[in-house]
Amino acid sequence: MLHALRRIALAVPLLLVVSMVVFVVGELLPGDPAVDRFGEKGSPAAIAEWRARKGLDLPVHERYLRYVGGVVTRLDFGESYKDDYPVSSDLRDRFAATAELAFAALLLAVPAGIAAGTASAALRGRAADAAAQGTALLGVSIPVFWLGMILVLAARSVGWNHFQARFDVRAHDDAVAGFTTPFVLFESVLRGRFAVAASCAQHILVPALALATIPLATVMRMTRSAVLDEIGKDYVRTAEAKGVPRARAVVRHALRNALMPVVTVIGLQAGTLLSGAALTETVFTWPGLGTYIVSAVQKKDSPALVGGLLLVAATFVIVNLVVDLLYGVLDPRLRRSAS
Amino acid sequence: MNGRRTRAFLRNRTAVAGACVLALFVAAALLAGVLAPFDPESRVPGDDVLVRTQPSAAHLLGTDENGFDVFSRLLHGARTSLLTATASILLALAVAVPLGAFAGWRGGLAESAVMRATDVSLAFPSIFLAVVIAAIRNDRSLATVVYAVAAVSVPPLVRQVRAAVLQVKAQDYVTAAVALGIPPWRILVTTVLPNCMAPILVLATLGTGTAILDAAGLSFLGLGPPPTAPEWGVMLTNGSRYALDPSLWFLLVPPGAAIALTVLGFNLFGDGLRDALDPRTRV
Repeated sequence: MLHALRRIALAVPLLLVVSMVVFVVGELLPGDPAVDRFGEKGSPAAIAEWRARKGLDLPVHERYLRYVGGVVTRLDFGESYKDDYPVSSDLRDRFAATAELAFAALLLAVPAGIAAGTASAALRGRAADAAAQGTALLGVSIPVFWLGMILVLAARSVGWNHFQARFDVRAHDDAVAGFTTPFVLFESVLRGRFAVAASCAQHILVPALALATIPLATVMRMTRSAVLDEIGKDYVRTAEAKGVPRARAVVRHALRNALMPVVTVIGLQAGTLLSGAALTETVFTWPGLGTYIVSAVQKKDSPALVGGLLLVAATFVIVNLVVDLLYGVLDPRLRRSAS
Repeated sequence: MNGRRTRAFLRNRTAVAGACVLALFVAAALLAGVLAPFDPESRVPGDDVLVRTQPSAAHLLGTDENGFDVFSRLLHGARTSLLTATASILLALAVAVPLGAFAGWRGGLAESAVMRATDVSLAFPSIFLAVVIAAIRNDRSLATVVYAVAAVSVPPLVRQVRAAVLQVKAQDYVTAAVALGIPPWRILVTTVLPNCMAPILVLATLGTGTAILDAAGLSFLGLGPPPTAPEWGVMLTNGSRYALDPSLWFLLVPPGAAIALTVLGFNLFGDGLRDALDPRTRV
């Protein structure tokens, strides 16, 4: 308990420093937003009025304090410089898209990674092991956006055309408009709108496949080495000596005890995926946090960039914190030694 | 590396394969000026402008949308990509090794300060960090790519260098040096750091592969070098516009395969180096 409280207490100053860094980044973006908005020949009165409305005439520390105050008390991330739309509502939609994509990718990667890693460890040194390891290494060496393009090419060549949005907008826009959350896939399943859910699943499949390669390879390699560590231990040999079949000894005995480091790796991967996969999202024009931040940079839209980066970093820090705390729950030894 | 370690490395067939792949690309990079049949940044000379022509005897991998010879660009791209990645990693090491060594050796407040700073930068996915740095520099050049990629490589390197220093610091020969009254900074430079060289070498090798991927990603997001530069990420990005036309595969497949193979080479080589240098992982 003490350990948990200390970890939570440490995350707060970290997030504060992160918010300062992110705010400074927003300030450093080149160009003057007012001039960008009104053009070089914009009327000085209009520019001054706009700057005052955005609070740009205040000193930077005052704007920072206002900003953090708004975020903490009202979840108010300001308004975009480009369309005056509240950043918080964009972030809500974008986060949902990224979270569903991350979930789908992990759903594909984790079971396959654990199975392949365990099999690879059990068959150590054989051709299947070498093939699995080679594939995993190739998986982390391929540029993910290139893999994405190849997948699009392959999917289109077999007539698969579910790209460009999170679901078939023409067929299901009315149904989705009645949803209460931006989690289209999850909500359609919960509401029993299976036609919408099926359309979402079709659209998420190929992007999730592309995004799954790195977690798949990472989970596989971690499972393999963790299972290898356990497989040589006495209790596994004892189990086999007592007549437990090899496969059962590996899965029921060794794998169980090997899962701790695997859980950590899955947690870290979840943190990375939830904080937006800029490249994969760009390839598939997936409306998530990654594409949001990249387009904010390209459009020099500071409030959008600052809000996006802040959400990404906060998600990453919080997911890691949860993984860290879960670790204590899963392994009682760590709890005792920490307190 | 002494003979025993060299032999351990050579017995590792995958590591040797990685080294061979790398040697091939390094050779291509060094000899690009001699081997490339055409200039990578100007139109193929002739009466007609040859735009997106299919591979032929004259143009082994065809020509791209600007009428540049793809094969020549691929060779010169090896030079650009390897130089960019190496420069980024050397720059990152120049920052990370002193910081990590200082943090691990001094401990206390200095260590906390350095480690909390890496915590902050590790809270952002590296691609966003690179994107933001490139945006702030606001200039599409190879130098921007080098700075951005170096900056994202620093925080993990600092942590790993610190970990290596902590490990060496606990050795008896360091305790002995302290007991002999040798000044701490001298122990760090003459005893601790040389013994950290093996892990740092492995990190640098694996980091160069990651740097190539990061640089290509920056190009893909439109923040890399200008679109005519002979760089693999740029070629891939330009080629991605024709991703829906399978007959134009030669604009998409060669640069992507070149990146994947080079990164694979660095990963295999780095893994093999680690196994050869670290006696504990040797079977």
